[in-house]
Amino acid sequence: MSRSPILVTGPAALCAIALLCGCGPQGLGSATTSAAPPPPPPSPYAALAKLPDWSGVWEPAFGARPTAGRAPPAPPKLTPAYAAQYAKFQQKNRTTPGINFVSSVASCVPPGVPQSMQEPYPIEFLFTPGRVTILIETYSIVRRIYTDGGPPPADPDPTYQGTSVGHWEGDTLVVETSAILPETSPLNGISGHGEKFHVTERMRLLQPDLLEIATTRIDPTVFVEPYTTTAYYRRHRDWKIMEYVCQQNNHDALDAKGNAAFSLKHNPGE
Amino acid sequence: MKLSRWFPPVLVCAACLALGQAASAHHSTAMFDWGKEKSISGTVERYEWTQPHTFLWVAVRRAPGKSQEWGLEGMSPSWLGRRGWSRHSLSPGDKVAIVYYPLRDGRPGGFYVRITMPGGQTLEALPQRSG
Repeated sequence: MSRSPILVTGPAALCAIALLCGCGPQGLGSATTSAAPPPPPPSPYAALAKLPDWSGVWEPAFGARPTAGRAPPAPPKLTPAYAAQYAKFQQKNRTTPGINFVSSVASCVPPGVPQSMQEPYPIEFLFTPGRVTILIETYSIVRRIYTDGGPPPADPDPTYQGTSVGHWEGDTLVVETSAILPETSPLNGISGHGEKFHVTERMRLLQPDLLEIATTRIDPTVFVEPYTTTAYYRRHRDWKIMEYVCQQNNHDALDAKGNAAFSLKHNPGE
Repeated sequence: MKLSRWFPPVLVCAACLALGQAASAHHSTAMFDWGKEKSISGTVERYEWTQPHTFLWVAVRRAPGKSQEWGLEGMSPSWLGRRGWSRHSLSPGDKVAIVYYPLRDGRPGGFYVRITMPGGQTLEALPQRSG
């Protein structure tokens, strides 16, 4: 009778299982003779208690400059091609009050970092071990910021929200983001940027219910020098983030030529 | 329900500073004659409480026995829902007076700014400028 080398039955099988799972006679012996097992390492969640309280929901406070005496933001210094694009947008804004920047976000393509942080609806922060997660209501965007101290990936694929690592400097969260898709907008009024576009965000509580985020954009193809803007967010402890599916009922998709449009169809997405 | 009292000046000012952006950041307002208020009256056919915008379909009487359908975009549930509006604010059959910003191309549509209900109460649908 021939026996398959894999099919082991009877006492031999029990022995094999015991060896595989490390609970053979040797394992049992050491468990009975040594001291109690070492205590488990402290829970990584314990470290979270030292972080500042950013709970609740944060509503962008457009136009707020709560620090008295602070000068309004200086206009960006741009390379010629982008300066022309930006000037055209500014001119349009003057001649057509209320007009916004026409871009593919109207067709439900999400904005990238850092514009995704300046959408009109609120954001929230989740602190978990080694990570801060930002949930952005508009477009239901998720930003994963790794704070475990590991190096950023060597060659990440470009994405809308890029690849983010962060660290805490006291109560300030510093987030470094790169690998952002070059077709996204780095600043309202500008479309597109270089592949090396890098964003640094410094986030901190300015007042108990007022969060400040200073955003620095670095990209020599667009900005002659790093350009920093500061945005503020007001806390609403009783708000809940809502679902936001842009494709649900979007009447504002761009037309075939990329211009702003308006559909009067009953089901515009179909 | 009275919404016209729901905008304390401080909040209003914060909102109006960035009206263009806050009003509809997800798209341009180029297709509307933004800021030019016009009025129509009609009967609600359907109120869509949806993202990225609410949408109001209204039958507007044009001649005896003849009505025209109008489509009016509004702020999103994300904005209206945090200021007292809900999917129940407007129901089919409601006779309403609507202030809106018209479409530039003349089609029967626009962006609704405020709505007066049969009982006379007014629902504000955009951040109001203070003063």
